[in-house]
Amino acid sequence: MSLWRLEWLRLTRTKRWIALVGVYLFFGLLGPFTARYMAEIISFAGGELEGATIELPPPVPADGMIQYVSSVTQIGTLVAVVVAAGSVAFDAIPEMGVFLRTRVRDLSRILTPRVVVVTTALLASFLIGALAAWYETRVLIGPLDAGSVVIGSALSMLYLVFVVALVTAVAQRARTVIGTVMVSILILLLLPIFGISEAVGRWLPSHLASSLAALSAGEAAADYLPAAAVTVVVTAGLWWLALELARRREL
Amino acid sequence: MIETRGLTKHYGSTVALDGVDLDVSTGAVYGLVGPNGAGKTTLLGLLAGLRRPTAGDIHIEAEPTEIAVLSDTPRFDPWLTGREAVELAAHLTGGAERVDAVLEEAGLTDAQERAVGGYSRGMLQRLGVACALVGSPRLMLLDEPASALDPLGRREVLDLIARLRGSSTVLFSSHILADVQEVCDTVGILDEGKLLFQGPLDELLVGSAVPRYVVRCRPPLEPILAFLSRQEWVTAVEAIGPDELAVTVESLEDAEVHLIGALAEAEARVISLHPEGVTLERAFLELTR
Repeated sequence: MSLWRLEWLRLTRTKRWIALVGVYLFFGLLGPFTARYMAEIISFAGGELEGATIELPPPVPADGMIQYVSSVTQIGTLVAVVVAAGSVAFDAIPEMGVFLRTRVRDLSRILTPRVVVVTTALLASFLIGALAAWYETRVLIGPLDAGSVVIGSALSMLYLVFVVALVTAVAQRARTVIGTVMVSILILLLLPIFGISEAVGRWLPSHLASSLAALSAGEAAADYLPAAAVTVVVTAGLWWLALELARRREL
Repeated sequence: MIETRGLTKHYGSTVALDGVDLDVSTGAVYGLVGPNGAGKTTLLGLLAGLRRPTAGDIHIEAEPTEIAVLSDTPRFDPWLTGREAVELAAHLTGGAERVDAVLEEAGLTDAQERAVGGYSRGMLQRLGVACALVGSPRLMLLDEPASALDPLGRREVLDLIARLRGSSTVLFSSHILADVQEVCDTVGILDEGKLLFQGPLDELLVGSAVPRYVVRCRPPLEPILAFLSRQEWVTAVEAIGPDELAVTVESLEDAEVHLIGALAEAEARVISLHPEGVTLERAFLELTR
């Protein structure tokens, strides 16, 4: 029973993988559907308001990805934070922390499998959702540029790697899983606020969250390079910080 | 095996440990005794490397991988089976070939395939011991391993610890003095962060042995108390129950020669009398009073 197998069992036996795949796949299927049938949905819901009629332009293929991204950026990220926190906050139950810390002195041996397994599951879930959205968009609305989808997905996945690194660092300071989730969500909510100014926003990791939708709509990938570069550096910094905080922690 | 000098730990303005000089010899089963809040868990945490001292030195003649730590309430991921928990410990510390043996020793062979989430408190404690034993540690640090168990679970864990004698050095903290007296050969008494005594258990008991007789007799006790308190060879006398007296004497020999005669002279209706056995509890109370 290695620490890698332990994490695999955590993912499968606690059904966390179902939560991840389920959420991303659900929104991957729902996004293009709502984009395609938005007018009909509004009509069924009572589209005429006080005599006003809502008319929507015909959907374009990018709308499928925009719907997918807008959903997973909120609910998907929340689920990702909860799942990641449950895995990387290994001191949240001190007796379990004692079990590991007194047997493994190099804390990167404890954290690496947790981070890698949960990140891999998260990226795979995102990819499954994106592929489902891409396929359904093609079927219901029309084809998307493959290059844009691939690069946009890669940039969005880089953002998710940053999210897990952030949660990992926070978990080494917070005392509980709930505390880790709350602080992480707060930071993730604050980032876009700091990025309201475009000059600042294009450098922040949160800029990558919408890259799949933006690139599908025709934006240039080069616009996301500054944020991607910053995200790589910040993620590495968060990983170093997580290890340092874990080493300093007393149980 | 363990030597600390001037070991001190502060939590803000609270002094958890105050200049502790601990000496645990190789092969000893050392009982660290103290009331709740005495600093036992802090001391074990420092020795285990889970906390950093404010001041002082720690020297342990064992590699970190040769030290096993068992917390007072071991917890495991509830979806692991008992066997998987031991296999994980074995993977981290070595001893994969001993998994079956330690499960057997801990009495968990039949429950090894069950999820840990369904284990009782006693089974979790025994699983913790199994995880500690699987790596054949040279040093075991056990924090209150039997304090929260029912009598049967406590008996099982104490028997497991007793069987470690000779194969590992054991440092075992407890506030249950009877447990320490039963399994330990060396004792350290910790109170308010200070080590008040450490040494062989016998030395503590003999050193604290104030000769005392317990006398049961029919009430009223007052005339008997008054009579005995006037005897030169009696250093103290007190009622310890409605029909019981504790008579502290200068020597047991004095009591053997004079006590029965004195009781007769005081017209006491004696039911029984016997020299009081010295217990760790009494020695502890003498030291911490």
